Amino acid sequence: MSENRTLLVEMAEGLFADLSGAEFASAWPRVAEAGFASLLVPADAGGFGGDWGDVLAVLRLAGLNALAAPLAEPILAHHLLAQAGIAAPEGLLTIAAPGQRVPFARHADGIVRAGDGAVALYLPGSYSVTQGTSPAGEPWDAVDFTGEPVASVASDIDLLALGAFARVAQASGALEAAFTLSIDHVNTRVQFGRALAKFQAVQQALAEFSEEAAAVDASAAACAAALDHGDAGFEIAAAKLRTGIAIDRSVPIAHRVHGAIGFTIEYALNHHTRRLMGWRSEFGSDSFWAERLGRAVAKLGGKGLWHEVAARTDRQVAASG
Amino acid sequence: MQIFPLHPFTPPGDVPALRQQVRDLITAHEPRWTIEQRADTWFGNDAEFSRALGTAGLLGMTWPKQYGGHERSMLERYIVLEELLAGGAPAGLHWIADRQTGPLLLRYGTEEQREKYLPGMARGETYACIGLSEPNSGSDLASVRTFARKTLEGWRVNGQKVWTSGAHHCHAALTLLRTEEGSERQQGLSQLMIDLDTPGVTVRPIIDMAGRHHFNEIFFDDALVPLGALVGTEGQGWKQVTAELALERSGPERYLSSHLLLIALIDAVGPEPAPDVAQLIGRLTAEMWTLRQMSLSTAAKLAAGEDPVVEAAIVKDLGNAYEQALPRLVQAAVEVDLAGPSDLSRLLAWFLLTSPSFSLRGGTPEVLRGIIAKGLGLR
Repeated sequence: MSENRTLLVEMAEGLFADLSGAEFASAWPRVAEAGFASLLVPADAGGFGGDWGDVLAVLRLAGLNALAAPLAEPILAHHLLAQAGIAAPEGLLTIAAPGQRVPFARHADGIVRAGDGAVALYLPGSYSVTQGTSPAGEPWDAVDFTGEPVASVASDIDLLALGAFARVAQASGALEAAFTLSIDHVNTRVQFGRALAKFQAVQQALAEFSEEAAAVDASAAACAAALDHGDAGFEIAAAKLRTGIAIDRSVPIAHRVHGAIGFTIEYALNHHTRRLMGWRSEFGSDSFWAERLGRAVAKLGGKGLWHEVAARTDRQVAASG
Repeated sequence: MQIFPLHPFTPPGDVPALRQQVRDLITAHEPRWTIEQRADTWFGNDAEFSRALGTAGLLGMTWPKQYGGHERSMLERYIVLEELLAGGAPAGLHWIADRQTGPLLLRYGTEEQREKYLPGMARGETYACIGLSEPNSGSDLASVRTFARKTLEGWRVNGQKVWTSGAHHCHAALTLLRTEEGSERQQGLSQLMIDLDTPGVTVRPIIDMAGRHHFNEIFFDDALVPLGALVGTEGQGWKQVTAELALERSGPERYLSSHLLLIALIDAVGPEPAPDVAQLIGRLTAEMWTLRQMSLSTAAKLAAGEDPVVEAAIVKDLGNAYEQALPRLVQAAVEVDLAGPSDLSRLLAWFLLTSPSFSLRGGTPEVLRGIIAKGLGLR
């Protein structure tokens, strides 16, 4: 871990814990002020000059603390603009990937749209927003691009994949938070004269939960490494799908061990499980990524699959050695 | 608390060249392998192939040169293993000696034991098996009763081991026994390296539900085993054997056992599969890819001298679940004639029958989840 990463993580940990439970209106100004949006913007362009490992670290912490402010969206928006050489306007920037809702569009000072071979910046007035709400109660708006962008540059960047990576990273944190709540609950809740944690059936369920959280952590880290290597199409498809499977398996366990207590609006579990449920549908469903990955693998052939999987980690070893 | 922080897997040397060396060896030997022999991978037998791996310096890779080893890194060895499994090589004869028994002798064995066994193991000619389970001691290993009485002439061994994989091919069995009369549970256990041609030792086959002879019973009828067969410290057998189990749980053999069927599925449906089959291939790939990241990370931790007990249990439990589900998912998604001659037919029929064994070797899901729960502070 770089020294910059350590400082970044310390800052994010403190700020996001502080903002835990805060609404968008009070959380976003603090996140904006901290400057996370420029995380991937090169240092010589006035940014933080971070890498995808840094992005994973802060997005994981955002997920862990159920941060109500946008973080992935401005980071990716500024990244796309920097890559395209388009100057970023002041304020909150969000992203529009093909076929996707635009998170926080109603609050945005600009939308970076990527798809159909271009990256383009739209300013308010060149689009209309129809408000929508995610399962977690966050702004999930529909945007109709009615006017012209202020800038547009040819690009084949896959924003759907980058958005999927962001949700994998956030999910890794949210799963840890839901898992920790579950462990704390079963250790303190007493029924039949003993803590729930002492029941073997409960232990086995939580062991299974931990395996799923572990799988998402491992896949998220492997994606970040591949992104830093410059090509992560295969890894992100696999990781977003694996994360969908993990959400499918572990959210029910989290709620099951909590009983009715975990089903209330006051109790924190829903801050995480509702986000997880939403993210599973965002930036490509399980079946979308399964089919995209499956088609790519079918073209590689049976033996070719293994050769590809091995070569993709070997290239990283060669680069680091 | 992050449950599974990823540890970077950075083997030394020319990794692609090492992979190619293994792939070339497989290509040279594969014409005479049956598809079922290949599907058995780390339980499959080919003495000539095991010797060829030894000659190529791919067995005992991490051991000192004085015992026939090659002093290479644990991560280079990992690469050889995953290539053997993914390539469907019958590498069962030497697998246990190379993975477990050799390293244990290096750690706890006497100089005499190392000189006696390790060079042959590194050549791919000396095979070992592990005598743990007994008729009344399965998952509850601490209840073993086979007894070795220390006498002036040697250890007098009486009792029975069961489910001993490959014993009928092996030269010696590293056996967990009770050496202290009246001792209970984890106390009073020791490990003896017992040559299977010792008078009073009888190996009998147990045929499994797929019709294979992998399992055996080993009977000890007042067998006289030299005093020098004691491995490590008398009475410390439990500690030694549990260290051995940690070595075997996170390897690539815990998720690649049915990889040949995935290869056959992909080849059978061709480059333009129907959407539902493409999705199945994508799903299996995503699970396999994730497990590989987890297994690589755990191997890197082991190589760095850490003791990732919980991670290893997680890899094995998730990995076994995946490699067991694979045949069932293929069966559910594709029309396959289970009596047919195609590779896909033969492999699906084979793995439906053999895959129940994947989760019973090296700890059942319930045992593994118990270990994880303990690591999580729940018990």
